[in-house]
Amino acid sequence: MLARAHTFTIDGLNTRHVTVEVDVRAGLPAFVIVGLADAAVREARERIQAAIRNSGFDFPARRITANLAPADVPKSGPGLDLALACGVLAASGQLPGGLLGTVALVGELGLDGRVRPTRGVLAIAQAARTAGLEGLALAGESAHEASLISGLRIAAVESLESAVRVLRGGEGDRVNGAPVSRERSAKSRARGPDLGDVRGQHGGVRALVIAAAGGHNLLLSGAPGTGKTMLAQRLPSILPPLSEREAIEVTRIRGLLGGEVTGLARARPFRAPHHTVTAAGLVGGARQGSVGEAVLAHNGVLFLDELAEFSRAALEALRQPLEDGRVAISRAGRSAVYPTRLMLVAATNPCPCGYAGESERCRCGESEIARHRRRLSGPLLDRIDVMVNLYREDGGGDREAMLTSRQGLALVIRARERQAARLGRDGVLLNARMGARSLARHVRLDQSGERLLGGARQSGMLSSRGEHRVLRVARTIADLNDRRDVEAADVGAAIALRPEAAGERGVA
Amino acid sequence: MDCAPAQPAPEGACAACLRRSWLLGNLAPVLERRARDRGRLFEILALDDGELIDALGGRRKEELHEAHGSFRPDERPGDGDEETTCRHRGGYPRELRTRGSPWLLHVVGGCGRLRALTDAPTVAVLGGRRVSDYGSEMALGLARGLVACGVTVASAGHGDVAAAAQAGAIAAGGGVVALTGDGLEVCRRSRKRAHYRELARTGCVASELPREVGGRTWAPAACERTAVRLARLVVVVEAEDTPADLAAAVLAKSLGRVVAAVPGRATSPFSTGSHVLLKRGAALVCEAGDVLELLDLPTGGSVSMAAELPPRLRAVLEEVGCGRDTADALVRSTGEPFATTLLALTELELMGLLRRVAGGRYLRCPEAPRAASRTQPQP
Repeated sequence: MLARAHTFTIDGLNTRHVTVEVDVRAGLPAFVIVGLADAAVREARERIQAAIRNSGFDFPARRITANLAPADVPKSGPGLDLALACGVLAASGQLPGGLLGTVALVGELGLDGRVRPTRGVLAIAQAARTAGLEGLALAGESAHEASLISGLRIAAVESLESAVRVLRGGEGDRVNGAPVSRERSAKSRARGPDLGDVRGQHGGVRALVIAAAGGHNLLLSGAPGTGKTMLAQRLPSILPPLSEREAIEVTRIRGLLGGEVTGLARARPFRAPHHTVTAAGLVGGARQGSVGEAVLAHNGVLFLDELAEFSRAALEALRQPLEDGRVAISRAGRSAVYPTRLMLVAATNPCPCGYAGESERCRCGESEIARHRRRLSGPLLDRIDVMVNLYREDGGGDREAMLTSRQGLALVIRARERQAARLGRDGVLLNARMGARSLARHVRLDQSGERLLGGARQSGMLSSRGEHRVLRVARTIADLNDRRDVEAADVGAAIALRPEAAGERGVA
Repeated sequence: MDCAPAQPAPEGACAACLRRSWLLGNLAPVLERRARDRGRLFEILALDDGELIDALGGRRKEELHEAHGSFRPDERPGDGDEETTCRHRGGYPRELRTRGSPWLLHVVGGCGRLRALTDAPTVAVLGGRRVSDYGSEMALGLARGLVACGVTVASAGHGDVAAAAQAGAIAAGGGVVALTGDGLEVCRRSRKRAHYRELARTGCVASELPREVGGRTWAPAACERTAVRLARLVVVVEAEDTPADLAAAVLAKSLGRVVAAVPGRATSPFSTGSHVLLKRGAALVCEAGDVLELLDLPTGGSVSMAAELPPRLRAVLEEVGCGRDTADALVRSTGEPFATTLLALTELELMGLLRRVAGGRYLRCPEAPRAASRTQPQP
């Protein structure tokens, strides 16, 4: 007799719909699982046999063949146990097959028949809804996460018995504890670091707001102790809340990687890898299915502190993810694409000793400084739109906080609304993503602005790419000032905020 | 001290001088070890070929004497625009026909132009091994101002001061003799080959070493001694109080050249040597006009660009000169909005009156004399 059950397997950040076909027929007792199953799936035979028997059901002493379709897709992990067990029960006549075709079953089975949670539940629930299934039966601990997806009936099942009851038309188990609401996540956001903690450093705060408003990558340069890390940590507090789509993406990534999901994510991810991280650690690919910090920072902020200490290979590996907003990892003949739409914030010292610009403390000659700059330039400086220098005495001289996070957030949200209204038809939402065509359409300069930009171009201060960078940042500054047109002051400010290039000598 | 005339080699230098260049190239590694003291280096470079071999040859003495005796000039043609001249040729700079000077120079830009440039008043712009962005800026501004007024600038080696002086000279239209510590073929292959090509367009690049020899730490010091000899006046823009950094100034004084120095901040470690020179009687220079005065050359009655600036820009420029050199400090002192201040800084930077330096501070740049006569020496 043949029975079919539905389940899902995880492949990187994606899910794959797996149809479990179970055939029970006369023959020497055997339990064979086919369909490119990995070791964890193959071991399911032992778990399923014990679970079925210990749950009070009969394990057929016949030839059982379970096919995991499609057969050319690798299946991994113990999450297919529940579907396999229910398929065996249905194929052996111990379970009616009616609801089996409309409910997805996900969970690892203990030897006693208990259902254990698996990772990636949010993604699986999304996939089940997309596949047209009516319900999802899974471990009680994961039920709250799955219930974040609307349009799908969720049944918490603590044991194989409960799963059979649900498939016979009964109710699932009661889940302990109240679901985590989004309100709690919002309160967590309110308790985080606040921009009002930053005293002085008005230039740095302004640059942070400009970067947040336009989605521009930002470089903070300054001596140790000038507040680079402090400023970077407060960037998420002035970024707009995640949209529904972004929240599901972030929560899904967290869940797929085994992180605890206590509700729909509301805080933007903030990832700060140590500078010893490898290229694989930043973009993924070290092991099958492993993702890097850039993916974990998707829809959030990737902060690289001590930028000059990162290996060249690691920084080079970030170019494509920053440029394209996604990274393709190929491994063992298969490739997967992961999203990496993030804001990059980097921090560095201005010279090898770290104190350039701090009166006589710096003993670095100009060649040493140029050599230090060359370590930063190339792969990443090209992707950085805004650079600001922080100074020790400025922080000490002016102790007032310039803005609170609330005030900064209000400015950023208003600026982003203007951008969205203007750029919606171009398929981008932020000034930082404007291409050449969008720039020509949306950034028109007056005569003094053209003269200023032309002077910078002719003097060699700006390359073509640098010119586009300046235009994008100038557009953001105009948006923050509630101006429709970009003025010379905006262009001048954007030029002053340009990153220092290696070998920059200024105008001779 | 002249050697006996020899058959002229195809490149324009005599065989004896070509042999000298070959010998220096051969002994370059030994000089690396034996001539760490710059004063000693200058003495060694003043020795005759035979004395040089005896002093540095070591166990290879016999072999070197033999090779020296049987030396034949390299028949391989150099690159198309390269010429060679020696002290036995009429076009060789007069100032270099003395003991201690290089016997020969390989030149890109033309020996005729070299002679014309060195016939004009020449100033050597030199500095220490490590300089700050202030020192670089002063070297650039001085070179630009001097070349704009028809003075030839001599630079030595490829450190920051030389690079800045060359950049200033190029900005003013040329008029620089860039003495390089590498052979010309090494320069041609280096990362800075475009820069050297630009230098050779209106100035000269010259080396006393064979074409393929390069990367010697003593070579820039050797260039300094050449620059000092070519110049009427030597300006030290920034130097530490070490024998190496001050060796060129000491040599200049011993040769009777005028020595001038640019003052730095009193507490700056980069300027300790410059201040020592000033205390010992070196002339104080702050801009190209001061150098022209020392050379008894007309300054051209220049008008400062800063005086013609609109008030908002002049105010920012003066504030930067007073040490309020960051955007935040300027906003506090002038009371102007942040955006207006950034715009002013950008405009001044584009005019060349300010430069953004490491750490994001702004540095006021020396102005080039304007309305001065510019006479480009003709080959």
